[in-house]
Amino acid sequence: MADTRQLTSWAIAATIASGLIVGLLSGWSAITRGMGGENYNGWSGSSVTGSADADPWLRARVAVSGLLALNKSQAIYFTRKTDDAGDPLREECSYRVTGGALPGQWWSVTVYAADNYLPLNDDDALSFDATEVKPDASGQWSAILAPVRPEGTAWASTRKAGAYDITLRIYQPNEQAQADFATIPMPKVTKLNCGGKA
Amino acid sequence: MTRRAKLILTFIVAAVAGHIGLVLFVPHFLMNIAMERVSQDGELINQFAFGSRTTQNSRSVVRPSPDLAYATCAYDLSNGPLLIEAAPSPNQGYVSISVFAANTDNIAVFDTSQSPEGIRFVLAREGQATPAGTKAVISPTVRGIVLDRRLAPNAELFAAADQARRGDKCQQLAS
Repeated sequence: MADTRQLTSWAIAATIASGLIVGLLSGWSAITRGMGGENYNGWSGSSVTGSADADPWLRARVAVSGLLALNKSQAIYFTRKTDDAGDPLREECSYRVTGGALPGQWWSVTVYAADNYLPLNDDDALSFDATEVKPDASGQWSAILAPVRPEGTAWASTRKAGAYDITLRIYQPNEQAQADFATIPMPKVTKLNCGGKA
Repeated sequence: MTRRAKLILTFIVAAVAGHIGLVLFVPHFLMNIAMERVSQDGELINQFAFGSRTTQNSRSVVRPSPDLAYATCAYDLSNGPLLIEAAPSPNQGYVSISVFAANTDNIAVFDTSQSPEGIRFVLAREGQATPAGTKAVISPTVRGIVLDRRLAPNAELFAAADQARRGDKCQQLAS
């Protein structure tokens, strides 16, 4: 009888341990997929980022990949890991980012490496922002994501970024943008070439 | 219930507990790490620490913006409310003060477009007395972080923002 009880205890302990491991792994998988949210023309963003309305999963995802993010009354965040063709953004490739007026007082686009920190390069060009681009008469602007500085245009360096993502921050967004992210004219990201080859 | 059914149920309960436990634990854990870092291991509680210009080597908080100047105050309301003040930057440059509870929720945010003369409020726990006539923010947790963000996309603007933010206050309210 003693051997049977011991076997049962071991079986229960092993079952609990394996259940906890599976639960921890599934939890980790659920919270390490970026800041999450809905898709807006290739950019993902959530209207409850930073808010007390965020569910526990979104709160944990934001803690992992965007700790101290503001709520949408002050800033809206969008992230993307792919170009408009759906291919992952890669350090060795060049991309043109194009867009029009964005519905906020100020905006920026920043490159982040896979570890959620800025890429370890010393190009002093880790982002471009609303003050750097030169809109044409119709308000359209363009900028470049590339490992080498281009001539005469706004640029964010992807050198040493590896497989990276970019974050668009729109500060002090207007009420329409806060109410419905789908109304925001999201910038496009078009691949130009990789390693200098078109 | 059969022995097999009991083991399956035990497995499911353990898996759900592990999943939910991790999801609930992670924000508090990471916020605690951030508070330790910004307070320099507890040395700077209830006072602002002024970060240097954000570079590729900035590693205290994930996904920093290189276009902003950050100042942080790790707060502890155990001994009463705090007075928070932030002066505007030159030329009406963007300034915001945001308050984050220990579970990472952004419980309040103010900017200088709403308050061009500067931001001023009292941060308190529920039940702590706050001065009449002063805006009050009630924190659901004893500890948390107050964050000053200022637009500073180049060295010149960073220098101007840095000078302006040196007047920030995050201090015990005088009794």
